[in-house]
Amino acid sequence: MHILIVEDDEVARDYLAKALREVGHTVDVAGNGLEGLHLASSLAVDLAIVDRMLPKLDGLALVQSLRATGRKMPVLILSALGDVDDRITGLRAGGDDYLTKPYHMAELLARIDALARRGESGSAEANTKLKLADLELDRMTRRVMRNGKKIELTAREFQLLEFMMRHSGQVVTRTMLLEGVWDYHFDPQTNVIDVHISRLRQAIDKDFDKPLLHTVRGAGYSLREDE
Amino acid sequence: MGLDQRFLGVLDTSPFRIAIVYSIVFACGAAALLGAVNFAVSRVVDGSTDNLIEAEVQGLREQMLVLSRNDFIELIEQRSQEQDVRGAVYLMVDPQLRPVAGNVPAWPTLDAGAGKWFLFKVSVPFGDETREHEMRAQRFPLPGGYRMLVGHDVQERQDVKSLMMRGLIAAVVLTLLMGLGGGFWMGRRILAQAGAISAVATQIMRGDLSQRLPVRDADDEINTLAREINTMLDKIEQLTLGMRTVLDSAAHDLRTPLNRLQSTAEAAMTQLVPGSAERRVLEGVSTEVDHMRSTLDALLRIALAETGTVAREPVDLSELVASVVELYAPVSEERGIILESSVSTGAQVLGSRQLLAQALANLLDNAIKFTPDGGRIRVQLRGSASEPEIIVEDNGPGIPADKREIVLGRRVRLDEARKFPGSGLGLSLVAAVTKLHGARLVLDDAGPGLRVSLKF
Repeated sequence: MHILIVEDDEVARDYLAKALREVGHTVDVAGNGLEGLHLASSLAVDLAIVDRMLPKLDGLALVQSLRATGRKMPVLILSALGDVDDRITGLRAGGDDYLTKPYHMAELLARIDALARRGESGSAEANTKLKLADLELDRMTRRVMRNGKKIELTAREFQLLEFMMRHSGQVVTRTMLLEGVWDYHFDPQTNVIDVHISRLRQAIDKDFDKPLLHTVRGAGYSLREDE
Repeated sequence: MGLDQRFLGVLDTSPFRIAIVYSIVFACGAAALLGAVNFAVSRVVDGSTDNLIEAEVQGLREQMLVLSRNDFIELIEQRSQEQDVRGAVYLMVDPQLRPVAGNVPAWPTLDAGAGKWFLFKVSVPFGDETREHEMRAQRFPLPGGYRMLVGHDVQERQDVKSLMMRGLIAAVVLTLLMGLGGGFWMGRRILAQAGAISAVATQIMRGDLSQRLPVRDADDEINTLAREINTMLDKIEQLTLGMRTVLDSAAHDLRTPLNRLQSTAEAAMTQLVPGSAERRVLEGVSTEVDHMRSTLDALLRIALAETGTVAREPVDLSELVASVVELYAPVSEERGIILESSVSTGAQVLGSRQLLAQALANLLDNAIKFTPDGGRIRVQLRGSASEPEIIVEDNGPGIPADKREIVLGRRVRLDEARKFPGSGLGLSLVAAVTKLHGARLVLDDAGPGLRVSLKF
């Protein structure tokens, strides 16, 4: 994937570029907003990571200009501001996701994957049936079947599984789950998400040979079929 | 219904009430004034008529002594013809009360109790018709059983009096009506102005500090007040903007180096074998960065809540409480803690959903942290839809009464709590969020345990 990083903090930018190249992405970098806008408009960029406070052209203004000129690539906004409302302003300006500094590289990579996938399969949103190996989820009837056997889930467990299935094969972090399933943007001090996941795991994996819900150390969870 | 309420609203305005009071005062004043005029006029007119009659009676009595009956009758006839019947009236009757002379057709029937003075009615031609006129008269006996009556037409006087009375009533009614109408008009004006001001005030309370109160081109009290409030809002906006800038730069200047530290540590870690001593050091660094981040997040959110620089929107509190309880239910169950909740429906407040959720999450986090395994936590949302109250009770160790105020301050952890993880900012954030929403936070004894109440 061709990723553009627009970030004025050189140290953070270099590490980010290096980490992204290590996982196989093509990376271009810009140190200010104008340069970023120029690169984003002229290169065939698949995804942009834009810092919110940039010299010459503010990060939000950059995203707005991109959107105004019809560029639809996913944009992840990085912010070193106070949060709460900043997140909403960032998304309103045209950002697709918002991450506050300092972040873990694993969190950023997981979010980039999710954004890229969202770009690829925009039609997945419309699918009423989600399927992974022998696990099936029907959004219309709100039924979950595994290997032909009906699985009883609470409303929240259903939402959680739906979110995991939409991101199947990807790493999903705890904050992504809290944001995606509960719409909360804070860091719970307790391991609330882990306990919800372990319940879901009980429900979908316990009576079956091959586990589908995996823990990814230091990052989060992944729903996938193990080879 | 809306019209009714607008109408009733006008009745509640102070100008309307003042107008009512003043019109009652003016009406009383008008009544008193007219009453006094009426009294004075009556005194003067009645008095002069009575004097006239007295003088005439006196004169006739003297004539009676010196004149023969026939001459006296002649005199009466003469006087009667001299006078128009609406002026003086005379009547002389014989002992059988048959008229002998005068301009009154018949001796009036008098009450037994009638004194020297009396009133009676006489039909008087008035254009083509006749009218009953009231006469005030005195009578006196004449020699030989004859009787004499001398009086005066007082109908005009009565007419004036009743006209004045009607004028008086009309004046009072008109004063009241004008007062009512004027009051209503002024009340509507005030209500319209107040309505415009209150609409803007609501927007300002929602966090839109750029809004200003409407000011018309007039120098009345309300406009002066609105102008002064606008000046005050300018100051507040400047201060808040300044605060916000300071907070943003503080956040930026702390987050940027933390981010470099995190990136450097993580990049270095990938070069090291898992489990090696160097890697463990870097993992420790990364964990510390996480702690600093969560402390920084909490401090910034407290500061944002305290400066009020957070956008406000309608928040479905019922949904929020239920969802946060649901978020924590599995964790508490794992600890064998019974998490009960009773949530009333339809509660709504104006505020920040994220901050309210975090405040409630902090309360539940604390409750779960401090409640022993197998304990009990009760979450309630009760009260009216517009003034709800959230209560979180646990049966943990609680907080001693003398320390309840202190724990709400920034970064206070009681000695007993040191063995538990956490930044110690949880309750401070709850306090700041409560304040932001204009709610009241009360810590109390749940006997045993802690009872936290957030009353909006």
